[in-house]
Amino acid sequence: MLQISPRLRNTLISIGSLILTTAVVSNAFYQRKQFYPSIIYITKSNASMAAIYFQGLTLVFLTWKLLRWVFFGQLRPAEIEHLVDKSWFAMTDTCLAFTVFRDEFNSSFVTLFTILLFLKCFHWLAEDRIDYMERTPVITKLFHFRAVSLLTTLSFLDIFFVAYAYNSLVTRGASYQLVFGFEYAVLCTAVGFTAIKYILHCIDSLHDQTAPWDRKAAILLYTELVINFSRVTLYTVFLVLMFKMQSFPLFAVRPIYMAVKSFKKSLYDVIMSRRAIHTMNTLYPNATLEEIRAGDSTCIICREEMTTSCKKLPCNHIFHAYCLRSWFQRQQTCPTCRLDILRPRRPATAAAPAAAAPAGQPAPGGGAFPPGQFAFPQQPHFHMGNMAFPFPLPPGFPQHFPMPQPGQAGPAQLPNLTGAPMMYPAFYPAGGMMPPPPPLPPMPVPNFADMSEEDLRRLEGDSRRALEMRVAHLRNIQALLDAAVIQFTQYLSLMTPPVVLPAVPLTSTTTIPTGTSEATVSSSSTNATPSEETPTGNSESDEVRRRRLQRFQNGLAAEQP
Amino acid sequence: MAGPALKRLMAEYKQLLQDPPEGIMAGPVSDENYFEWEALIPGPEGTFFEGGIFPTKLTFPSDYPLSPPKMVFTCEMFHPNIYPDGRVCISILHPPGDDPMGYETSAERWSPVQSIEKILLSVMSMLAEPNDESPANVDAAKTYRENRDDFKRRAQILARKTLGID
Ligand SMILES: [Zn+2]
Ligand SMILES: [Zn+2]
Repeated sequence: MLQISPRLRNTLISIGSLILTTAVVSNAFYQRKQFYPSIIYITKSNASMAAIYFQGLTLVFLTWKLLRWVFFGQLRPAEIEHLVDKSWFAMTDTCLAFTVFRDEFNSSFVTLFTILLFLKCFHWLAEDRIDYMERTPVITKLFHFRAVSLLTTLSFLDIFFVAYAYNSLVTRGASYQLVFGFEYAVLCTAVGFTAIKYILHCIDSLHDQTAPWDRKAAILLYTELVINFSRVTLYTVFLVLMFKMQSFPLFAVRPIYMAVKSFKKSLYDVIMSRRAIHTMNTLYPNATLEEIRAGDSTCIICREEMTTSCKKLPCNHIFHAYCLRSWFQRQQTCPTCRLDILRPRRPATAAAPAAAAPAGQPAPGGGAFPPGQFAFPQQPHFHMGNMAFPFPLPPGFPQHFPMPQPGQAGPAQLPNLTGAPMMYPAFYPAGGMMPPPPPLPPMPVPNFADMSEEDLRRLEGDSRRALEMRVAHLRNIQALLDAAVIQFTQYLSLMTPPVVLPAVPLTSTTTIPTGTSEATVSSSSTNATPSEETPTGNSESDEVRRRRLQRFQNGLAAEQP
Repeated sequence: MAGPALKRLMAEYKQLLQDPPEGIMAGPVSDENYFEWEALIPGPEGTFFEGGIFPTKLTFPSDYPLSPPKMVFTCEMFHPNIYPDGRVCISILHPPGDDPMGYETSAERWSPVQSIEKILLSVMSMLAEPNDESPANVDAAKTYRENRDDFKRRAQILARKTLGID
């Protein structure tokens, strides 16, 4: 196969087509000698007409190339890709439209359609080009010149064709001009949106690099909503008119569906953005300069220095307010630790005696617990009953628990909370998979979804009651974290060869004096009771275990001061 | 003018130039386009892909770092976590929220806290330790599971190919 570059091929096609046309025309003129008879000769001959049509196509193609070069210069691969995709859809849509207007199908229809497709391509390219402004560090004067002239030309053409279609409809009644009119009206909205984007990008570029123009995102969001709304309205009107005049416009189903879809999306974006802003402004304090300087002062989202207008999340992570807002539009989690920012305020509903819940296992592993691990503070307010302790712990673990509002409850009370979420993956055994969890006593799952608005409100504010409730929730968290430590210890000990701890000696350990270990041991002894029912047949191994435990207890007792 | 995505990409590029991770080379394809990167991933020593230098292409979305980039190996690959067309399928490149497989916890997934460097390191460790649990290339996963020697042989052929040795 001979390899020909596309450029050479196009040139060859153009030249070939020109030669062909010249041949056809000169042949006709040679045969008929005069202008009109020659024309008739050409139109009568199918072969000549084919050559003429081909010449027309080449001319359109050449114009396209010229204009494209004038307004865009070299196209980027991504732009070409978009163009090809969109053109295919536009072609299929219009082919469907042909079927509706097949009676009116003539050369003027084809011409109008070609112009429409032509203009559509330029609209798409213009949009891509303007979007590209944000993505390249190199913006030349030529770029601005091209952008302005292109956008002006396109809007004038759009308006002209809308007016033309309107006039034609008014004077000559319903025809395919209705379709073209609406197509151009939709293109008007597109070029309007692109122009607004261009203006916004330009304003943005005039702003100082260190203080980005943070209202741009919001303005763009609302503009998009308005544009999409007007597009949906246009299509609705079109649908009604078409239905009245002709039949249901099947060819318009895809574009209408797309318009409705993007309208829904922009509406959703606006709602999410509003919610994010609301959450940020009401829930989270601005970070003070000291707080920013205390840690890494780089914003993890944009990797730039943070100076002013920063927000601090309950997990103590600090970000630019505008960076955080754009992230919250996608996801309502902390970018660093994935704390769910919408849920933390929801408290647990139920309360139950606490001591029963943690350490619900007879301790396996030959008494491998260091004494400190069981230092479980016995507080009267352990609302552990209904707070499940999900296993294996998902890394999103802290999402489900009520978080204090910083500054009020104070991070000092929860020193391990701030860093904790990042550490969870570290608890996973190296293999990546958790060992099968040991049979835990049934722990009900917390049901925060049931929280009513009133319950939530009760947590807000500075009243004593709200404060008390928050403190209670803090205690829950503490209890859960303590329980987590215990559970993890159990898991770790499970990974060592299991040596079943006999229950009998444990009860005797209650005699061990001193504070922390007393609470510890007594709680484990109560939990160990079920295993006392195990048959005591294997006396030899029992004896071994007893001796082992004796040694362990002696060791424990020796450690006590 | 520069949008937040471009600024961040430029910052990451600067960082990578100042403090490049071992053996990895990565950078935008041109000064005008920071949203397409090329990266060379060395096959980690002592693993199946040892010795190879695998060319990849990263494509960044306009809302980077809110959305993750896409990554494609531009050379022939045979690996459980790389689609036959070269696309890389690892959790760090998946935005949280959509998990068709249901395997990944959200902590491993994309968030702005991740970076190009972390992606490249993850891909390196993916080369070192294929994960055959939710394979992108079933054939490769099967070979990896059932016939390690054959897998190693094929990986080594590909590694040599990247160096231009056949
Ligand atoms: Zn930032
Ligand atoms: Zn956080």
